[in-house]
Amino acid sequence: MTEVTIQLLGFIAAAILIVVGMGGMLFLDNLIKKIIAFTLLSDGVNLLLVALAYREGGIVPILLPGMSIYDFTSRAILIFPAGIVLTNIVIGVSTTAILVALVIMLYRRYGTLKASVILKGERR
Amino acid sequence: MIESISNLWSIPLLVIIPMLTAIIVNFLYDKAIKPIAISSAIIILIISIISPYGYHWFCGHPALNPETLTFTFNPNIFGYKLSLEFIFGPLQHIMIFISSLILLFCVILSTIGLTKHQGPYIALLFLLFMSSAIVIMVNDLYHLWIAVEIGSLIVVGIAAASGTSISHKAALKYGLFSAISGAGLAVSLALVLGLTGFSNISDAIMYLKQFGIGEMSTVLYIAFGFFVLSWMYAGGLAPIHPLKSEVYGASYPHGTALLQAQSKLMLVAIGIIMLRLFGMLPFVKEVMIFLSVITMMIGVIMALIQIDFRWIIAYLIISHSGFVTLGIGLGTQEGLIGGIFQAVNDIIYMTILLLCCEALFYFGGKTSTKEAYDIAKKSPFIATATILGAIAASGIPPFNGFQSEIILIQACLKEGLPEIAVLILMVSVTTFIALLRGIYRIFLKPPELQDQDNSNVDLPKVLIIGIIIFIILSIIIGIYPDIVLRFIIPVVKEVLSI
Repeated sequence: MTEVTIQLLGFIAAAILIVVGMGGMLFLDNLIKKIIAFTLLSDGVNLLLVALAYREGGIVPILLPGMSIYDFTSRAILIFPAGIVLTNIVIGVSTTAILVALVIMLYRRYGTLKASVILKGERR
Repeated sequence: MIESISNLWSIPLLVIIPMLTAIIVNFLYDKAIKPIAISSAIIILIISIISPYGYHWFCGHPALNPETLTFTFNPNIFGYKLSLEFIFGPLQHIMIFISSLILLFCVILSTIGLTKHQGPYIALLFLLFMSSAIVIMVNDLYHLWIAVEIGSLIVVGIAAASGTSISHKAALKYGLFSAISGAGLAVSLALVLGLTGFSNISDAIMYLKQFGIGEMSTVLYIAFGFFVLSWMYAGGLAPIHPLKSEVYGASYPHGTALLQAQSKLMLVAIGIIMLRLFGMLPFVKEVMIFLSVITMMIGVIMALIQIDFRWIIAYLIISHSGFVTLGIGLGTQEGLIGGIFQAVNDIIYMTILLLCCEALFYFGGKTSTKEAYDIAKKSPFIATATILGAIAASGIPPFNGFQSEIILIQACLKEGLPEIAVLILMVSVTTFIALLRGIYRIFLKPPELQDQDNSNVDLPKVLIIGIIIFIILSIIIGIYPDIVLRFIIPVVKEVLSI
């Protein structure tokens, strides 16, 4: 497959993951399912960035001993999106951990995982 | 602005010191954190005052001026400026100074005893300051996204820290939405990066100006849409204002003071970036103005129907965020000056009100207008300070709120938007009514039962000092607005000249 085709497939798959993830987060009632939908959304964003950085026959962006700068720059995938993906994975894990911790606390209090029950308005 | 090729020493310190302090106080938990936390907050405040202006890069070099063959920071010169760039200029100076002053009082107040598990909580306060400092100093989309994401997670933590079921729910709602808006900002970053090849905001703008938008406009609109989502989320703008107002209302009042400062900084920083990146697209300013107007109206109406003083302030913070975004959305010199000046003033007078609200916790912890009575008898000082804060928030001279609101009204009139100028006046008046209603019921209304406890309560001295300092700041800026405007005007001119 050509570079454009692979990249296009990556973009399409990313778009599907993002839409499914966003839909799940907005419309699913179970809080754990919402968190799973978030991981799909996060993976979709990562795939978008990976597809953006794709280069036909590219190598990982690490300058190895003996490799010339010219060789490296002509073959390595784009470094910056790869860096963003790495950061997004870390942020995704942190967000998931915090959300799960909050869900556990609320589950202990309300005995359910239904967002419609837990998050409904409370008189102040 | 002073131009220097070498990296500025203060920029990494403003990020690393809060981060290190957060790690240490979190590790120590409740032991011996007071001296470390307070001394770190004082050091940050001193750095924000004495720091010169300059830049910090992570690698690479500034642009090479082809005419003079010298390195330059002139953003009009297109070249390989480094993508990861931080700036400390007049805007950052004033914003970080005010935030670090609030951080200092927040840290001292949280060591006094209202908060449980002081170590992790103070760690969150320092990290919140760090994320605000990054957002206001950053000139690249990568760090902007990271700071917004980190800031969102910390807001969740601070809201959850007060330990009530309302605070946990508010934190969860905010956390779930932060996941969507954070991902949206990452998509936006990817789109701008894919279109221009630059993550440095100045370089991306230069690219768009040099090569025109042409066929890129559709993708740019999508990127703008995701940016707007993050802007609304970070600043608590309508129609997603309930998420932020619940976080404000559910947190400790001193924590809310720092949270609202962070929100204002994010509104200013992201707003200016949006204006610079997408300002050439049609309808961008109109969208920003529309969001501002509905935020102003919904916020103040919701404040009117609240029965808890904390929630009245929470919705007023939302409403007044609309003033800030309106000024930025106008995109004119007066508008931008008014918007940024309003952000500074808003942080100051809302801090006065929130610190007064914190004082209510020492009178039995009741902030509801149905439960608290006659506080003015127990503490005339807090009652007076709250009334002064309300006057400042309502834009009545000689307090600071008046100066920024008058600039905003003038900007609206100059742009041919007299109806929005009238709306600003109406929101100011309604702010006063909402606050006066709360103040009367909590501070002035006599108790319904005769056996109410009228014993005097000793308020922490630092709380009283904090309130006095912010009232003095409010009056000084109200009488001599140039003290702040001299920091804002050069930045606005630079933003508009690009």
